[in-house]
Amino acid sequence: MFYLIEYHRERGRLVRFDVFPTERRPDAEAARLDLELSLNAAGVSHEVVILEAADEDALRRTHRRYFDDARTIALAGRAAV
Amino acid sequence: MRLSRSQVDRLGERLRGGNISDDDLRLLDAYRQSFAEPYAEVLAVLRDELGLAPTGRLAKSTKSIVEKLERETARLSQMQDIAGCRVITADVEEQDRTIQAIHARFGDVTVVDRRARPSSGYRAVHMIVAIEPHRVEIQVRTALQQLWAELSETLADRFGIAVKYGGGDDVVRELLGATSESVAEIEAIDAALADPDLSPAALARYPKLAARVTGLRAERQLHIDQARALFTRAIANFSAPDP
Repeated sequence: MFYLIEYHRERGRLVRFDVFPTERRPDAEAARLDLELSLNAAGVSHEVVILEAADEDALRRTHRRYFDDARTIALAGRAAV
Repeated sequence: MRLSRSQVDRLGERLRGGNISDDDLRLLDAYRQSFAEPYAEVLAVLRDELGLAPTGRLAKSTKSIVEKLERETARLSQMQDIAGCRVITADVEEQDRTIQAIHARFGDVTVVDRRARPSSGYRAVHMIVAIEPHRVEIQVRTALQQLWAELSETLADRFGIAVKYGGGDDVVRELLGATSESVAEIEAIDAALADPDLSPAALARYPKLAARVTGLRAERQLHIDQARALFTRAIANFSAPDP
Protein backbone atom coordinates (compact mmCIF):
# COMPACT_ATOMS: atom_id res chain seq x y z
CA MET A 1 0.00 0.00 0.00
CA PHE A 2 1.07 3.58 -0.63
CA TYR A 3 0.41 6.24 1.98
CA LEU A 4 0.34 9.93 1.12
CA ILE A 5 1.25 11.91 4.21
CA GLU A 6 1.01 15.63 4.88
CA TYR A 7 2.74 16.48 8.12
CA HIS A 8 3.03 19.73 10.11
CA ARG A 9 6.48 19.35 11.66
CA GLU A 10 6.42 22.21 14.14
CA ARG A 11 3.12 21.04 15.63
CA GLY A 12 3.92 17.35 15.24
CA ARG A 13 0.57 16.83 13.55
CA LEU A 14 -0.54 14.57 10.76
CA VAL A 15 -2.66 16.79 8.52
CA ARG A 16 -3.56 14.35 5.76
CA PHE A 17 -3.29 10.61 5.41
CA ASP A 18 -4.51 8.98 2.19
CA VAL A 19 -4.16 5.32 1.29
CA PHE A 20 -3.60 4.00 -2.24
CA PRO A 21 -3.43 0.34 -3.26
CA THR A 22 -0.03 -0.67 -4.64
CA GLU A 23 -1.25 -0.72 -8.25
CA ARG A 24 -2.33 2.95 -7.95
CA ARG A 25 1.14 4.40 -7.47
CA PRO A 26 0.65 6.95 -10.31
CA ASP A 27 -2.49 8.21 -8.58
CA ALA A 28 -0.57 8.63 -5.33
CA GLU A 29 2.15 10.58 -7.16
CA ALA A 30 -0.43 12.77 -8.90
CA ALA A 31 -2.12 13.44 -5.55
CA ARG A 32 1.26 14.38 -4.06
CA LEU A 33 1.94 16.90 -6.82
CA ASP A 34 -1.56 18.41 -6.52
CA LEU A 35 -1.11 18.74 -2.77
CA GLU A 36 2.37 20.30 -3.08
CA LEU A 37 1.09 22.79 -5.66
CA SER A 38 -1.86 23.79 -3.49
CA LEU A 39 0.33 24.15 -0.38
CA ASN A 40 2.86 26.17 -2.35
CA ALA A 41 0.11 28.49 -3.62
CA ALA A 42 -1.08 28.95 -0.04
CA GLY A 43 2.46 29.56 1.24
CA VAL A 44 2.23 26.57 3.58
CA SER A 45 5.43 24.63 4.26
CA HIS A 46 4.30 21.15 5.28
CA GLU A 47 6.17 17.93 4.67
CA VAL A 48 4.52 15.84 1.95
CA VAL A 49 5.75 12.32 1.39
CA ILE A 50 4.63 9.00 -0.06
CA LEU A 51 5.56 5.91 1.92
CA GLU A 52 5.02 2.27 1.03
CA ALA A 53 4.41 -0.50 3.54
CA ALA A 54 2.70 -3.86 3.74
CA ASP A 55 0.05 -2.30 5.99
CA GLU A 56 -0.50 0.61 8.34
CA ASP A 57 0.91 -1.23 11.34
CA ALA A 58 4.21 -1.75 9.51
CA LEU A 59 4.23 1.91 8.53
CA ARG A 60 3.65 2.99 12.13
CA ARG A 61 6.55 0.81 13.29
CA THR A 62 9.08 2.32 10.88
CA HIS A 63 7.79 5.90 10.75
CA ARG A 64 6.50 6.61 14.26
CA ARG A 65 7.45 10.24 13.93
CA TYR A 66 4.36 10.95 11.83
CA PHE A 67 2.03 9.33 14.34
CA ASP A 68 3.50 9.61 17.83
CA ASP A 69 4.81 12.49 19.92
CA ALA A 70 8.23 12.55 21.61
CA ARG A 71 6.77 11.36 24.91
CA THR A 72 5.21 8.26 23.33
CA ILE A 73 8.41 7.43 21.46
CA ALA A 74 10.49 7.88 24.62
CA LEU A 75 8.07 5.56 26.47
CA ALA A 76 8.60 2.96 23.74
CA GLY A 77 12.36 3.46 24.02
CA ARG A 78 12.31 2.94 27.77
CA ALA A 79 10.27 -0.24 27.36
CA ALA A 80 12.59 -1.55 24.64
CA VAL A 81 15.94 -1.31 26.45
CA MET B 1 9.93 13.57 -19.05
CA ARG B 2 13.63 12.75 -18.70
CA LEU B 3 15.81 15.51 -17.27
CA SER B 4 19.48 15.96 -18.06
CA ARG B 5 21.96 16.17 -15.18
CA SER B 6 22.46 19.90 -15.81
CA GLN B 7 18.69 20.48 -15.78
CA VAL B 8 18.49 18.63 -12.45
CA ASP B 9 21.33 20.66 -10.96
CA ARG B 10 19.90 23.97 -12.16
CA LEU B 11 16.62 22.93 -10.54
CA GLY B 12 18.55 22.18 -7.35
CA GLU B 13 20.07 25.65 -7.37
CA ARG B 14 16.65 27.23 -7.69
CA LEU B 15 15.29 25.05 -4.88
CA ARG B 16 18.25 26.03 -2.70
CA GLY B 17 17.11 29.61 -3.04
CA GLY B 18 13.87 28.68 -1.32
CA ASN B 19 11.51 30.50 -3.66
CA ILE B 20 9.90 27.53 -5.39
CA SER B 21 7.71 28.02 -8.44
CA ASP B 22 4.97 25.65 -9.57
CA ASP B 23 7.05 24.78 -12.63
CA ASP B 24 9.94 23.78 -10.37
CA LEU B 25 7.64 21.59 -8.29
CA ARG B 26 6.51 19.88 -11.50
CA LEU B 27 10.12 19.40 -12.61
CA LEU B 28 11.08 17.99 -9.23
CA ASP B 29 8.10 15.68 -9.41
CA ALA B 30 9.26 14.42 -12.82
CA TYR B 31 12.77 13.89 -11.48
CA ARG B 32 11.51 11.97 -8.45
CA GLN B 33 9.27 9.83 -10.66
CA SER B 34 12.35 8.74 -12.61
CA PHE B 35 13.41 6.81 -9.48
CA ALA B 36 10.25 4.70 -9.48
CA GLU B 37 11.68 1.73 -11.38
CA PRO B 38 14.98 1.35 -9.48
CA TYR B 39 13.10 1.92 -6.23
CA ALA B 40 10.60 -0.83 -7.10
CA GLU B 41 13.43 -3.16 -8.11
CA VAL B 42 15.25 -2.71 -4.80
CA LEU B 43 12.09 -3.13 -2.78
CA ALA B 44 11.10 -6.29 -4.67
CA VAL B 45 14.52 -7.85 -4.07
CA LEU B 46 14.45 -7.06 -0.35
CA ARG B 47 10.92 -8.35 0.05
CA ASP B 48 10.69 -11.26 -2.38
CA GLU B 49 14.27 -12.57 -2.56
CA LEU B 50 15.72 -11.72 0.85
CA GLY B 51 12.52 -12.16 2.87
CA LEU B 52 12.79 -8.75 4.53
CA ALA B 53 9.94 -6.40 5.42
CA PRO B 54 11.05 -2.99 4.14
CA THR B 55 9.04 0.19 4.36
CA GLY B 56 9.65 2.29 1.30
CA ARG B 57 9.87 5.99 0.70
CA LEU B 58 9.09 6.46 -2.94
CA ALA B 59 10.79 9.85 -2.94
CA LYS B 60 12.23 12.33 -0.48
CA SER B 61 9.89 15.19 0.35
CA THR B 62 10.41 18.59 -1.23
CA LYS B 63 10.93 20.09 2.22
CA SER B 64 13.67 17.58 3.07
CA ILE B 65 15.35 18.03 -0.33
CA VAL B 66 15.41 21.81 0.07
CA GLU B 67 16.77 21.54 3.63
CA LYS B 68 19.52 19.17 2.50
CA LEU B 69 20.47 21.43 -0.41
CA GLU B 70 20.68 24.39 1.97
CA ARG B 71 22.65 22.41 4.56
CA GLU B 72 25.17 20.82 2.21
CA THR B 73 27.10 21.78 -0.87
CA ALA B 74 26.11 18.68 -2.88
CA ARG B 75 24.15 19.14 -6.09
CA LEU B 76 20.65 17.72 -6.49
CA SER B 77 21.89 15.12 -9.00
CA GLN B 78 24.37 13.87 -6.37
CA MET B 79 21.74 13.33 -3.67
CA GLN B 80 21.75 9.61 -2.94
CA ASP B 81 18.63 9.29 -0.86
CA ILE B 82 15.93 10.63 -3.18
CA ALA B 83 14.34 7.17 -3.13
CA GLY B 84 14.91 4.73 -0.33
CA CYS B 85 13.61 2.29 2.16
CA ARG B 86 14.09 1.18 5.72
CA VAL B 87 14.61 -2.26 7.23
CA ILE B 88 14.38 -2.79 10.99
CA THR B 89 16.18 -5.71 12.62
CA ALA B 90 15.88 -7.13 16.13
CA ASP B 91 19.54 -6.61 17.04
CA VAL B 92 23.05 -5.98 15.73
CA GLU B 93 23.61 -9.64 14.80
CA GLU B 94 20.57 -9.63 12.55
CA GLN B 95 21.57 -6.21 11.24
CA ASP B 96 24.98 -7.58 10.20
CA ARG B 97 23.40 -10.60 8.51
CA THR B 98 20.98 -8.31 6.67
CA ILE B 99 23.80 -6.06 5.47
CA GLN B 100 25.78 -9.05 4.21
CA ALA B 101 22.75 -10.43 2.36
CA ILE B 102 22.01 -7.08 0.69
CA HIS B 103 25.66 -6.67 -0.24
CA ALA B 104 25.86 -10.17 -1.72
CA ARG B 105 22.71 -9.65 -3.76
CA PHE B 106 23.39 -6.21 -5.22
CA GLY B 107 27.18 -6.17 -5.38
CA ASP B 108 27.55 -2.52 -6.35
CA VAL B 109 26.77 -1.08 -2.93
CA THR B 110 28.31 1.76 -0.92
CA VAL B 111 28.03 1.08 2.80
CA VAL B 112 27.98 3.95 5.29
CA ASP B 113 28.27 2.45 8.77
CA ARG B 114 27.30 5.03 11.37
CA ARG B 115 27.32 2.61 14.28
CA ALA B 116 30.98 2.92 15.24
CA ARG B 117 31.15 6.57 14.17
CA PRO B 118 27.73 8.09 14.83
CA SER B 119 26.61 11.31 13.19
CA SER B 120 25.48 13.55 16.10
CA GLY B 121 24.27 10.42 17.89
CA TYR B 122 22.61 8.90 14.83
CA ARG B 123 23.54 5.24 14.49
CA ALA B 124 22.47 3.06 11.58
CA VAL B 125 23.85 1.52 8.44
CA HIS B 126 23.00 3.12 5.13
CA MET B 127 23.54 1.13 1.96
CA ILE B 128 23.50 2.94 -1.36
CA VAL B 129 22.59 0.63 -4.22
CA ALA B 130 23.57 1.74 -7.72
CA ILE B 131 21.01 1.05 -10.41
CA GLU B 132 22.34 3.29 -13.14
CA PRO B 133 21.86 6.13 -13.50
CA HIS B 134 20.15 6.24 -10.11
CA ARG B 135 20.96 5.41 -6.49
CA VAL B 136 18.55 3.93 -3.96
CA GLU B 137 19.27 4.13 -0.25
CA ILE B 138 18.53 1.28 2.14
CA GLN B 139 18.58 2.20 5.82
CA VAL B 140 19.22 -0.81 8.06
CA ARG B 141 18.53 -0.07 11.72
CA THR B 142 18.11 -2.18 14.82
CA ALA B 143 14.93 -1.67 16.81
CA LEU B 144 16.83 0.43 19.37
CA GLN B 145 18.62 2.51 16.72
CA GLN B 146 15.22 3.05 15.11
CA LEU B 147 13.58 4.27 18.34
CA TRP B 148 16.47 6.64 18.99
CA ALA B 149 16.29 7.98 15.42
CA GLU B 150 12.53 8.51 15.69
CA LEU B 151 12.98 10.38 18.97
CA SER B 152 15.67 12.52 17.36
CA GLU B 153 13.48 13.29 14.33
CA THR B 154 10.52 14.20 16.50
CA LEU B 155 12.58 16.48 18.70
CA ALA B 156 14.17 18.04 15.60
CA ASP B 157 10.67 18.78 14.28
CA ARG B 158 9.84 20.52 17.51
CA PHE B 159 13.09 22.21 18.51
CA GLY B 160 14.67 22.73 15.10
CA ILE B 161 16.60 20.52 12.72
CA ALA B 162 19.94 21.76 14.15
CA VAL B 163 19.67 19.23 17.00
CA LYS B 164 20.27 16.52 14.40
CA TYR B 165 23.51 18.12 13.29
CA GLY B 166 25.30 18.99 16.52
CA GLY B 167 23.56 22.30 17.25
CA GLY B 168 20.27 23.58 18.62
CA ASP B 169 18.89 23.31 22.14
CA ASP B 170 21.60 22.16 24.62
CA VAL B 171 19.28 20.01 26.76
CA VAL B 172 17.84 18.19 23.75
CA ARG B 173 21.23 17.64 22.13
CA GLU B 174 22.86 16.37 25.34
CA LEU B 175 19.96 14.06 26.14
CA LEU B 176 20.00 12.59 22.65
CA GLY B 177 23.78 12.19 22.73
CA ALA B 178 23.81 10.42 26.10
CA THR B 179 20.92 8.13 25.09
CA SER B 180 22.69 7.21 21.85
CA GLU B 181 25.86 6.31 23.79
CA SER B 182 23.92 4.10 26.22
CA VAL B 183 22.17 2.30 23.37
CA ALA B 184 25.53 1.82 21.63
CA GLU B 185 27.02 0.29 24.79
CA ILE B 186 24.07 -2.09 25.23
CA GLU B 187 24.29 -3.20 21.60
CA ALA B 188 28.07 -3.68 21.77
CA ILE B 189 27.75 -5.86 24.87
CA ASP B 190 24.89 -7.84 23.30
CA ALA B 191 27.08 -8.47 20.25
CA ALA B 192 29.96 -9.60 22.49
CA LEU B 193 27.69 -11.91 24.48
CA ALA B 194 26.38 -13.46 21.25
CA ASP B 195 29.86 -14.86 20.52
CA PRO B 196 29.40 -18.62 19.91
CA ASP B 197 32.61 -19.22 21.89
CA LEU B 198 30.67 -18.23 25.00
CA SER B 199 28.56 -21.38 25.05
CA PRO B 200 27.31 -22.72 28.40
CA ALA B 201 29.76 -25.62 28.04
CA ALA B 202 32.69 -23.24 27.53
CA LEU B 203 31.64 -21.10 30.49
CA ALA B 204 31.42 -24.20 32.70
CA ARG B 205 34.89 -25.26 31.60
CA TYR B 206 36.72 -21.92 31.79
CA PRO B 207 36.08 -19.92 35.00
CA LYS B 208 37.86 -16.82 33.68
CA LEU B 209 35.54 -16.76 30.67
CA ALA B 210 32.53 -17.17 32.96
CA ALA B 211 33.75 -14.28 35.11
CA ARG B 212 34.15 -12.12 32.03
CA VAL B 213 30.57 -12.88 30.94
CA THR B 214 29.27 -12.09 34.42
CA GLY B 215 31.10 -8.77 34.24
CA LEU B 216 29.67 -7.98 30.83
CA ARG B 217 26.15 -8.75 32.02
CA ALA B 218 26.58 -6.47 35.00
CA GLU B 219 27.93 -3.73 32.76
CA ARG B 220 25.01 -4.24 30.38
CA GLN B 221 22.54 -3.78 33.22
CA LEU B 222 24.22 -0.51 34.18
CA HIS B 223 23.80 0.81 30.66
CA ILE B 224 20.20 -0.37 30.55
CA ASP B 225 19.48 1.48 33.80
CA GLN B 226 21.18 4.57 32.40
CA ALA B 227 19.22 4.40 29.12
CA ARG B 228 15.94 3.96 31.01
CA ALA B 229 16.73 6.98 33.15
CA LEU B 230 17.49 9.04 30.04
CA PHE B 231 14.27 7.98 28.31
CA THR B 232 12.42 8.82 31.54
CA ARG B 233 13.94 12.31 31.41
CA ALA B 234 12.77 12.63 27.82
CA ILE B 235 9.26 11.53 28.85
CA ALA B 236 9.20 14.17 31.58
CA ASN B 237 10.72 16.96 29.48
CA PHE B 238 8.95 16.53 26.19
CA SER B 239 5.22 16.31 26.59
CA ALA B 240 3.09 17.23 23.59
CA PRO B 241 3.55 20.77 22.22
CA ASP B 242 0.77 23.31 22.43
CA PRO B 243 -1.90 22.83 19.76
